[in-house]
Amino acid sequence: MSEGARMHTLHKTSLILLLMASALLTTSFTGCGSGGRRVVTVRFWNGFTGPDGRTMLRLVKRFNQENPDVDVLMQRMDWATYYNKLFVAGLGGRAPEVFVLQTLAIPRFAKSGFVRGVDDLCAQPDGIDVHDIDANIWQGVAVAGKHYGAPLDIWPMGMYYNRRLFREAGIVDARGEPKPPTDRAEFLEALRKLTRPASGGKPDQWGFVFTNFESNVYSFMLQFGGEFFTPDDTRCIMNGPRNVAALQFCVDLIRKYKVAPPPENYDAWIGFRQGKIGMVFEGIYMLADLQKQQDLDFGGAPVPDVGGRRAVWAGSHNLCLRSDLQGPELRASWRFIKFLSDNSLDWAAGGQIPVRKSLRETPRFKGMAVQSAFAREIPYVVYLPRLPFIFEYQTEFNNAVEKALRGSATPQEALDTATANINKIMARERNAGSGGER
Amino acid sequence: MTRSRSLRRWSGYLYALPYLTLFGLFVVLPLLYGLRLSLFRWEMLSQLPPRFAGLGNYAEAVRDPYFWRSLVATFQFVALAVPLTVCLALLLAVGLKSLHGRRQAFYRAAYFTPTILTISVAGILWRWFYNSEFGLFNAYLGRFGIKVPWLTDTHWAMLSIVLMTLWWTVGGPMVVLLAGLQNIPPQYHEAAVLDGATGWKSFRYITLPLLRPVLLFVVVINVIGAFQVFGQTFMITRGGPEMSTRSLVQYIYETAFNNYRMGYAAALSWLLFLVIAVFSLAQFRLMKER
Amino acid sequence: MLTEDPQNHESKRHESKRAEGAGNPAGARRRPWLYEGLVALGALLFVFPLVLILITAFKPDSEIVHFQGLLPRATTLANFRAILGSPEEIPIARWFGNSLFISSAATLLVLTVDSLAAYAFARLDLPGKKWVFGAVVATMMVPGQILLVPVYLILNRLGWLDTPTALIVPAGAGAFGVFLLHQFFVSLPKELEEAAAIDGCSRWGIFWHILLPLSKPALATLGIFTFIGSWNDFLGPMVYLDSVDKYTLPVGIALFQTSYYAEYGLTLAASVLCTLPVIVAFLLFQRHIIQGIALSGLKE
Repeated sequence: MSEGARMHTLHKTSLILLLMASALLTTSFTGCGSGGRRVVTVRFWNGFTGPDGRTMLRLVKRFNQENPDVDVLMQRMDWATYYNKLFVAGLGGRAPEVFVLQTLAIPRFAKSGFVRGVDDLCAQPDGIDVHDIDANIWQGVAVAGKHYGAPLDIWPMGMYYNRRLFREAGIVDARGEPKPPTDRAEFLEALRKLTRPASGGKPDQWGFVFTNFESNVYSFMLQFGGEFFTPDDTRCIMNGPRNVAALQFCVDLIRKYKVAPPPENYDAWIGFRQGKIGMVFEGIYMLADLQKQQDLDFGGAPVPDVGGRRAVWAGSHNLCLRSDLQGPELRASWRFIKFLSDNSLDWAAGGQIPVRKSLRETPRFKGMAVQSAFAREIPYVVYLPRLPFIFEYQTEFNNAVEKALRGSATPQEALDTATANINKIMARERNAGSGGER
Repeated sequence: MTRSRSLRRWSGYLYALPYLTLFGLFVVLPLLYGLRLSLFRWEMLSQLPPRFAGLGNYAEAVRDPYFWRSLVATFQFVALAVPLTVCLALLLAVGLKSLHGRRQAFYRAAYFTPTILTISVAGILWRWFYNSEFGLFNAYLGRFGIKVPWLTDTHWAMLSIVLMTLWWTVGGPMVVLLAGLQNIPPQYHEAAVLDGATGWKSFRYITLPLLRPVLLFVVVINVIGAFQVFGQTFMITRGGPEMSTRSLVQYIYETAFNNYRMGYAAALSWLLFLVIAVFSLAQFRLMKER
Repeated sequence: MLTEDPQNHESKRHESKRAEGAGNPAGARRRPWLYEGLVALGALLFVFPLVLILITAFKPDSEIVHFQGLLPRATTLANFRAILGSPEEIPIARWFGNSLFISSAATLLVLTVDSLAAYAFARLDLPGKKWVFGAVVATMMVPGQILLVPVYLILNRLGWLDTPTALIVPAGAGAFGVFLLHQFFVSLPKELEEAAAIDGCSRWGIFWHILLPLSKPALATLGIFTFIGSWNDFLGPMVYLDSVDKYTLPVGIALFQTSYYAEYGLTLAASVLCTLPVIVAFLLFQRHIIQGIALSGLKE
């Protein structure tokens, strides 16, 4: 081999070695490691990516500082992979001590024996006062009479509205302040006033847009009085007339009244951020994103009652414990959970609503305008159906809604298909013996 | 054969042993594990153990409209992406062939650069390009009053994914084909010129046939890769709209990791392997015979 | 100025250029500037998106959402500061270190293990060699995602989940490297090895002193491939790693996308940081990478 080639090789070898050395250095240098004291380690998993995650990290840090005998390690990952990894970790004996479950996931994890009940812990002197939590939220974590998590927050879907567009359209109250609609008539009228085609350099403007099919349409269906399962929970009846009427109403908003853009060519949420939409229905968790849009003058209000019944979609994050926790780990974990619950106002600042009624009464919370507005809906929030196979249910529901809104199927057809598929899933679950019922 | 000679022959496997161990553990074993798993019903969230179901999972797959839908989406992708990628790569290779030295190296590198990007970066970028409201493409097209439903229309979505794939993956085949072209000795073309065949004729009757082995390789590798499309569709459209871009691999992934149905996911995986194997073999036969 | 001068008087060059022209559909010699122009335009289009990532990373989020032109109206370092400035929430240096460590280790493993195996299949007289090697090569047809679920379960049994080992060791099982090196070894002339054998050199000696040194280009190529492939791997780390501080760069960047929306500014800035090292490495080893791909295609 020529001298030059050998030098070249040496050069490359040393480069590789250098790379490896720096890799090792970086990993060890930035590695975290608490001291070797006798502390109880509590691993805390959740799906809080984005700004939520950063808020939660700050809370965790504070807890660790105030409680030097406990070391909480937070891990977060995308919600989509979170649930699976959580369960498989359980199978492999690697499940964390504390983890977050959204209310929709509680039935399936509770049924599989993964989660520890919290009723006894709440009853203790250092427990959480369950009367400080709204009854319907507390019911959300109940399976067969036992409660399986400490609700941390509630994120109802509410209405964000563009105040500037409201003023320009003249939808104001006596003082000239924008007046968000509260019932069907006001809603439709506002929609008509807010919708304008593109003209003279200004972009087109819409009264409403469907940002989140699932939460939006589910809420409408509830308001129309629709039902999803038979009272004995054995059959899905999602294609009932009231649900169809609700879905038809949604379709009409797009196709008949033409106050919402067709979803086939519209990035809904961005449209609102760009100031082209009058009203959207979205969860309180979108607040942080809106606040980044400094040129948007928006407000929050409860969703109008369009169908005759006050109801709105909501979800919650619940703090749960692994089922086999004992002794010091259990105590430390519970202390952490109680800390988060007591300090859920800090969590709320990131765009959530605390479930502790006492905290909602504080001036600090009342100062959070949008959160307070959305919190008015709490008495009538409704969670998703309590199902072990919730993800497949969501897929079917979302598919049906998407098809109907995009005009690929009539509401009746779309819901018929979804209902049939869900009944098939229920039959499959029954045959498998894991219980097709809820 | 003497015993010591036979021993010596077998001892040669010692060299391959480290690799074969890893291969056995992480390729063969999973394949067999997956095959066995596909014969069971195992819904991971019930507290029940897996139950033998024979070919039940495969039967369910055949009756599963979502399986067929994702297979169709995958086929659409393969049918669009592979011919376009290979043709573009060939075109570019031919174009680059007439350049030399530094210039050729520069352009070669330029076309290859997108390929070294990781999918999350490439995916985010193109999601931004394609956004209906503030995406780069519509921002400029908007000045002409055009608003293309890149990712929100069921027909456009797959095309958009294919376009992105072209950008992302054409570098590899282009380089291989360029090398193939450069490997053809100039005498062939000189002879053709003397016979009066130039331009297209020369390309068709001299270049292409001589390029066939390399071309075959490129096409087969691309088809195999295209059947496994997952990153682009998952990152850019999540399989929407209306599941029109949900590839089979994404369906397998969701069946396993969202719905926790491991046995069924394994069966779907084996069906995908079967499809790929059949196609690859068919291609080999087809292109080799001609 | 950019094109070949068709009236070059050197006859050989002229001839081969005519031959080139004959090989091209329309004869590049006739309008070389057109071809180069198109190629250049295409190259610009290809590289442009990368430049765009860089430019856009300096825009504030509200400007990204409200497209106002390619160049930032209000250049800001906010995105980069947000990423680099909060190591507890965004341990990007950690992710970088993880990626570096995992990719380097995987590369070393692959080079070691694959070269040994390729030597065995290429030069040693093994019983049943054809079948074993054929089976190995055939698995190149298996989509990686098929193995995802079973490998996950195997790694779980081994207790390797959520450790770098899960991303390093299985990388050594890929067939591509063995195939590539095998093709390369087979193409080397046997005389050197035969001479060495006559001189009493052992099989190991031949491998270490003769074959390996001659294979530096192929090894370098396989090494770069493996490194880049491991660096860019998304699915593996996403599924096999749980702890945020163990993430590799691609998965870490994905954390900026919540289920509901994407923080474009942060993601783009992180992407710049993630891609820069790869681009640098690529430019340094460009020749080898492209040679390597060409090799893999030709020795079919």
